Amino acid sequence: MTDDKDVLRDVWFGRIPTCFTLYQDEITEREADPYYLLLPRVSYLTLVTDKVKKHFQKVMKQEEVSEIWFEYEGTPLKWHYPIGLLFDLHASNTALPWSITVHFKKVVELLFFLKHFHCNLFLVSRVRERLLRSANFPEKDLLHCHSKDVIEAHFMACIKEADALKHKSQVINEMQKKDHKQLWMGLQNDKFEQFWAINRKLMEYPPEDNGFRYIPFRIYQATTERPFIQKLFRPIASGGQLHTLGDLLKDVCPSAITPEDGEQKTQVMIHGIEPMLETPIQWLSEHMSYPDNFLHISIIPRPTD
Amino acid sequence: QASDGGRALCDTLFPAVDVLLKAVGDTPIMRTKKWAVERTRTIQGLVDFIKKFLKLMASEQLFIYVNQSFAPSPDQEVGTLYECFGSDGKLVLHYCKTQAWG
Repeated sequence: MTDDKDVLRDVWFGRIPTCFTLYQDEITEREADPYYLLLPRVSYLTLVTDKVKKHFQKVMKQEEVSEIWFEYEGTPLKWHYPIGLLFDLHASNTALPWSITVHFKKVVELLFFLKHFHCNLFLVSRVRERLLRSANFPEKDLLHCHSKDVIEAHFMACIKEADALKHKSQVINEMQKKDHKQLWMGLQNDKFEQFWAINRKLMEYPPEDNGFRYIPFRIYQATTERPFIQKLFRPIASGGQLHTLGDLLKDVCPSAITPEDGEQKTQVMIHGIEPMLETPIQWLSEHMSYPDNFLHISIIPRPTD
Repeated sequence: QASDGGRALCDTLFPAVDVLLKAVGDTPIMRTKKWAVERTRTIQGLVDFIKKFLKLMASEQLFIYVNQSFAPSPDQEVGTLYECFGSDGKLVLHYCKTQAWG
């Protein structure tokens, strides 16, 4: 259907205008201009910010540069979550551009403190090693991302997990290594056709079934402790009718759709829009999953204006 | 499918899930293979535990696989993996010092 294919393109080409600013601590000598970039909703921060890195490296000494990480209003942004999910979850009802703070600098000033204390020199050098490796990297919140290989491995693992749910891994396992590579290259190079030439196979199901075995989904709420909700959920009811987005939420996260005091206090957001709760979850899974084949759903407070 | 109320109660009554750890290749085998693991324990937490138990060095790599098909993210919770990929009341995880299933 032409309309449905348009949805695939709209999802793929969604962009978020973003302004990157370098974290300003008292030790910075030079100011760096902010850097503006349109971020692909379906990609990952560490995959699309090489230009951001290059820009800010210009005002830093080589020895000061450490692993880059990003933060929005104090919240470290998990690079292994798709960009669109991060935005919908943390910033969707705020003014554009999305303002992200970049952390890039090693903690150099603590060296002075240590030398001052005439510590055992060996100990100082060992501690110095560890300090110089991090820019206050929030180990508890973020995974490290030392190369693009790490992103590729994570991306492919998500696709494999999704197919384990959809097809008991049969489709992904039948593919050749070059097909797996094509999925990654398609994402990395922003090539819709290249990606979907392979991904369409992951969206098929046996003719005797009316959908996938289980739907790969994750539901996120910024307000709760748990990272996300992910459970087994069948797209087709025992009677043969199609389960809807509303059915899914009622089953695994009813607070998301239960009005409080007669008002709907939350929004259910996917790719920046609120799909109708009557939408069949099978259709959503086929058309509005991220390239990792998961439906990443954000439950956020409804703006009160 | 159970209602959310039922599932939440389940999480409270059964805070731990049974995990069966299987070694792959020439990775050392754990003497105790079956463990009750808290639902909120992450894969990274489990990796650290296995490394300690097997007396591996912190710098050595350890890969964990679900269904012998995918490596879950280090921050993924064991409880979620059990819900989605457990069978016969347990979650089977394969562990390996080298990459096994990519």
